[in-house]
Amino acid sequence: MSETPSVLVLGGGSTGCGIARDLAMRGVDVTLVEKGNLTHGTTGRMHGLLHSGGRYAVSDQASAEECIEENRVLRRIASHCVEMTGGLFVQRPEDDDEYFEEKLQGCRECGIPAEVLSAEEAREIEPYLAEDIQRAIRVPDGAVDPFRLCVANAADAIEHGARVETHAEVTDVLVEDGEVVGVEVEHASTGGSADGLDSFVHGEPGETSELYADYVVNATGAWAGQIGEMAGVEVAVRPSKGVMTIMNVRQVDTVINRCRPKGDADIVVPHETTCILGTTDEEVEDPEDYPEEGWEVDLMIDTLSELVPMLADARTIRSFWGVRPLYEPPEVGSADPTDITRDFFLLDHDERDGLPGMASIVGGKLTTYRMMAEDIADHVCEKLGVDAECRTAEEPLPGSEDFSVLRDWMDEFGLRSPVGLRSAERLGSRVDDVLGEWDGPNPTVCECEAVTRAEINDAISQSGTELNAVRIRTRASMGNCQGAFCCHRIANELVPEYDEPTAREALDDLYQERWKGERHALWGEQLSQAMLKHHLHATTMNRDGDPAASEETVDFGAFDAGADEEHGDARAAGARTGVADGDS
Amino acid sequence: MAIREDVLVVGGGIAGATAALAAAETGAQVRLISHKKSTLRQASGLIDLLGAVVEDDPASEPSGPVADPFEAVDRLPGAHPYNVVGVEGIREGLRIFDGAVGDAYAGAHTDRNALVLTHGGTVKPTARYPESVAPGLASVEEKTLLVGFAGLTDFDATAAAAHLDATGVPFDVDGATVSFPVEFRDDALTTRLAKALDTDESNARERLAEAVDDHLDGHERVGFPAMLGDDERREVRAELEDRLGAAVFEIPTGPPSLLGLRLEDLLFDALDEAGVRIASGNPAVGYETDGGRIESVLVDRRGSEVPYSADEFVLATGGLVGKGIDSDRESVTEPIFGCHVPHPEDRYDWSYPEAFGAHAFARFGVVPDDDLRPTDASGEAEFANLRAAGGVLGGADTAREKSAAGVSLATGAYAGRRAGENATGETAVEEATR
Amino acid sequence: MSDAETPPTTEPTEPNEQQPTSKPEFEPVSVFDDGATMDLRPGADNCYKCSVCDTACPVAEVDDDFPGPKFQGPEQWRLKRKEGSEIDDSIMSCSNCMRCDDACPSSVPLSQMHNTARGEYVEEQMDKLSVEYVRNRILANYRTSAWFASKLPRLANFAMNFGPARWLMEKAMGVTSEREFPAFATQTFREWWRERGGADASRENARTARERRGEAVDAEKKVAYFHGCYSNYNTPEVAKALVRVFESFGYEIVAPEQRCSGTPMFANGMLADAERAAEVNVSSFADLVSEGYDAVASCTSCSMALRQEYPELFDIDGIEDVAENTFEALEYLRIQEDLEGAIADASVEEQAFAYHAPCHARNQGLDRQALELFRELDGVVVEDVGDSCSGISGTYGWKEEKYETSMKIGGDMFEHMHDAAGDVGMTECPTCAMQMEHGTGYEIKHPLQLLEEAIC
Repeated sequence: MSETPSVLVLGGGSTGCGIARDLAMRGVDVTLVEKGNLTHGTTGRMHGLLHSGGRYAVSDQASAEECIEENRVLRRIASHCVEMTGGLFVQRPEDDDEYFEEKLQGCRECGIPAEVLSAEEAREIEPYLAEDIQRAIRVPDGAVDPFRLCVANAADAIEHGARVETHAEVTDVLVEDGEVVGVEVEHASTGGSADGLDSFVHGEPGETSELYADYVVNATGAWAGQIGEMAGVEVAVRPSKGVMTIMNVRQVDTVINRCRPKGDADIVVPHETTCILGTTDEEVEDPEDYPEEGWEVDLMIDTLSELVPMLADARTIRSFWGVRPLYEPPEVGSADPTDITRDFFLLDHDERDGLPGMASIVGGKLTTYRMMAEDIADHVCEKLGVDAECRTAEEPLPGSEDFSVLRDWMDEFGLRSPVGLRSAERLGSRVDDVLGEWDGPNPTVCECEAVTRAEINDAISQSGTELNAVRIRTRASMGNCQGAFCCHRIANELVPEYDEPTAREALDDLYQERWKGERHALWGEQLSQAMLKHHLHATTMNRDGDPAASEETVDFGAFDAGADEEHGDARAAGARTGVADGDS
Repeated sequence: MAIREDVLVVGGGIAGATAALAAAETGAQVRLISHKKSTLRQASGLIDLLGAVVEDDPASEPSGPVADPFEAVDRLPGAHPYNVVGVEGIREGLRIFDGAVGDAYAGAHTDRNALVLTHGGTVKPTARYPESVAPGLASVEEKTLLVGFAGLTDFDATAAAAHLDATGVPFDVDGATVSFPVEFRDDALTTRLAKALDTDESNARERLAEAVDDHLDGHERVGFPAMLGDDERREVRAELEDRLGAAVFEIPTGPPSLLGLRLEDLLFDALDEAGVRIASGNPAVGYETDGGRIESVLVDRRGSEVPYSADEFVLATGGLVGKGIDSDRESVTEPIFGCHVPHPEDRYDWSYPEAFGAHAFARFGVVPDDDLRPTDASGEAEFANLRAAGGVLGGADTAREKSAAGVSLATGAYAGRRAGENATGETAVEEATR
Repeated sequence: MSDAETPPTTEPTEPNEQQPTSKPEFEPVSVFDDGATMDLRPGADNCYKCSVCDTACPVAEVDDDFPGPKFQGPEQWRLKRKEGSEIDDSIMSCSNCMRCDDACPSSVPLSQMHNTARGEYVEEQMDKLSVEYVRNRILANYRTSAWFASKLPRLANFAMNFGPARWLMEKAMGVTSEREFPAFATQTFREWWRERGGADASRENARTARERRGEAVDAEKKVAYFHGCYSNYNTPEVAKALVRVFESFGYEIVAPEQRCSGTPMFANGMLADAERAAEVNVSSFADLVSEGYDAVASCTSCSMALRQEYPELFDIDGIEDVAENTFEALEYLRIQEDLEGAIADASVEEQAFAYHAPCHARNQGLDRQALELFRELDGVVVEDVGDSCSGISGTYGWKEEKYETSMKIGGDMFEHMHDAAGDVGMTECPTCAMQMEHGTGYEIKHPLQLLEEAIC
């Protein structure tokens, strides 16, 4: 055992990154491995709700109390990832009065500030609420950007000496003498070059490495069962899928919950420039292979337009599905996934299965990621004999230091106010470093989301050629055109630091990733948008028929070489502008 | 009835303009109505006829680039609009186009496609190209310099040059990024840059040439993204050529496309010249019919519906982008006349998981009979005097085929001529078709 | 006065009872209390970023301070928050020509977004004591100044263009001294109209014309004329032409109580002022519309305001009815009458015009009607000077800091006017006419004046 105890964290979601940060701040030597990008699993596929706890105030009060506590912590330490929109539990005429009272009572019992609003008061806050709503309860729900939150945790972990390795899939858990001693990972292509976020030497695609540590934390969420299997222990995660549909604009600026017992399609979260409609709860076998179907999208729109009627005709830009890493002790045996607690569980495999050296963390939710991380870091420290206090609840994440977004962006950085404002909302206290240090023209690269060249390049400096990693850091290509007008611009920013084939491959990956979710929104305006995208990339740029990407060579001689070529005169005046020759 | 013509064309893109010109050739009194600016301003300004053959089978890869589009027409799937008008129809469309744009476009000297540089850094096959694009053809073996502007995100000259090299072009190519010679804000529109060159603000042309000169190293031609002036574009290019001692060409861009804008101007000038009446700014929203014939198209003038009457009508309202075809979660429709638009029942079958897959939506449109009249579900013409042209016609993924402009020209010419003949009671004017 | 006995009763006396006070109220008025009607984020749903609007913007083409209609429209609306976000100040560089509306293939309510943003900017971000605000307020309320000037037109004409006074106006108020103020007529249109016998006389004239035309003497052909400020105070000959032309087609005319259409107020973000004016206009015209009148305007910006901007921006009783039944004068005759036939039989003295289509005419789809119509008129050549914007956009070109931009935008038009055969200009818009005259020295006529010459 080396002098500094070492820990391997498996999983680059909010929990894994939170654990890496916590342990690194306590002086532990941490390495985090993630099979895809950070947030690749469930973290990147959630509705962005910062729970007040109100949603669990009737059914699961323990979770509700944790939520309101962590809600307050995140507002403090992650202010640049959080927007305090406030939330409403809205009662429709057909919704039960008794439940409304229970909800109110539950909130008060859990210490969640809750205020009853009349229909008029609620509609004053949110004018697009249905005219026939009865009343509402106002709670401190908010919106959180899971990507920024996760990346900020990882960045701070690195700041404190951790290593973060993305695109490294765990292929085996190494067990020696009945104890977990490490894992084997296989490196995948990240688009041809080293991932810049980490300080870890990147393996070649297809290469495997064995990583050893004093302790291994399985924070792979819905994938925890698969890791458990590699180690020979059973972790009975019950993955449950939910659909989320993204609207083009924010029809509401407050989180709107339906005030009724558990049910599908009962929440609208104003998230960055969009609204996210959610969700469903359906158990699936495999967290990576499950059906994504149109009726689920229709259900979101049709049901939630009962609360916000204009949703019925509003434009959606994509839909995505996430898989919750639900867990309950096997003895509970809930039949319906909606009955499974949203609480989290720390499984010490030494205690539980007689396999020392590893623990798994399952269940839980993004809002309480830090608390979960603290719990498991405490556990790990105890195992490793590290005596250090958790500081993650006090120390702000990078970007969330003391900071105001209200500045004169035109004077300072030459940016239009909405562009400056959005940049600052994303970058937080890093805005001066990123925009202020930028040299040269700083045009807007992604117009939908107001992302400038400086911010794109900052993200590239963190994540290399993986443009989906650039996307989650900046929101570039996440707006209404879904990358039609900016995918190639973002790829252009890779050159000349990276070579052209790398940039082209990165472009293809990002374009395809955008298409995957946009397919779920193809009707009305978004279908027109998709057709324009198709014309721009296929007709105008000929990206689908690009000879550079084809095995076959083009016989350039078989094509028109100009009117004068026909007469064997390659440089005849006619091919050039007549006026020039007259002048000279 | 106050507003009445022989032929009414609905739509102001390539198809509508061509139809109006073709109808006017027959001697008919023609009016063209358009709601907004056409989608030409989103297109590159190139006239693609057929650059790749896309089979009906979704699994098959498109074959391309096609060198001889006329020869390749035979290999198109049966429902393709080209099969209604035939090779002669395509030539007829080109004839009208060439007449309308004059020497502003090149490519008429041959049947073969040209390979033109795209702002994405590759080449694509096209049949007609603006004269400013002509010096840049990829089959001309001249050492080439591509120039981009530092504040411009859409075109990166270094990346484009490297990409072009990877396509195997028969010449050396380099890229250079320069600052635009007049200092503008970073979000200045391309029309602003073009205007500065047009008016030679602050000696913009000379200073641009000086900036590029530093990168000239035996390059015989220099390519810029297509924003070299507007009204004075010939002079801008001529002066640059003169100062650089090299040929100067433009590389077509995506939206906002100045080449598309110029093409729109050329077509509308031709319409004026041909005496076509034009009313734009208000949408066609419906029609009046006497059984099987359309009597008038209703134009919404801010709430009041004004009938535009004619004997014959041409529907050239475009596809999904131009809003000639509309859709919701359940269905795909043609909004003015309610013509039948076939589509798979499940909207998940409208598209394909691969971004450049064989999308059904790319082929959405009305189904023409052998006289280009939109048909109903049973295959009968919806109306005796309504023909369709351009993007509103289904049956082809014109984006992947690189055939959108060609389909518009060919079907526009056919529909316009037939409408004109029927309205004037004359048959085809023989010399006009030759 | 005889008008008083005439139904419809809205035929007013000289409307000084509604006259604005000499000092516009400078306290800010909240026009954004109704969040539901002013929130245009859903309008951003229509945008698919194709940038066609940007290619149509005459301001962004010559002035990089203005980032273009797409940014100031759907992009900003999508990025903004209900609270705590500022409208980019470049909104004040938009001239409200509305060409972006006409360009957008996807019907994004661009000008509505710009108008709303401008209103919000002026109300929430602009210093109400600044010279710019006061100047804009005065320019926007042209009618107030014009009303005073009309009382002593000769003195006003002298004083307004008196050198030292203009120098002071530019230095103190930012009103460019490059331009000549328009001359005020010695007799306003309304004075003439009243003297002529008002609606009663018009009814008689219309009946005579119907008789002559072989139409039913009692035919329901009646229009309510929105003359606007300019043809009342400055160019009554245009208003008179309209009256004579319409009467000759058998239409009886009323000229109801009216205030400024609001166009200059929209362009300056003075939405509260515009709404007050709109309330008067809508209430006055709504009554007439319900009695079977159609509203006609000779100024294309006025017809634009009544048919598009009012219903987009305000919630006033009867506003939709008025919008649906408002027409530009020539447009109305083309729809209702065989104008072409009437023209084909007529002829005028040989003359040539350089015609400019105002942006607001373009927006209503009227940019080619004068050309098409007069093509059929013997003796006349009307040449289109191209589709560029004149650059003045109402009050825009009067601002000292916008003068140069305004003249740059107009550059193409001036050049084409010089190239055209005629040395008389023609346009429907009074401020375009001002710019045309300023840039070329040409006399400028309204199409109705030529039509009057042809058929009356």
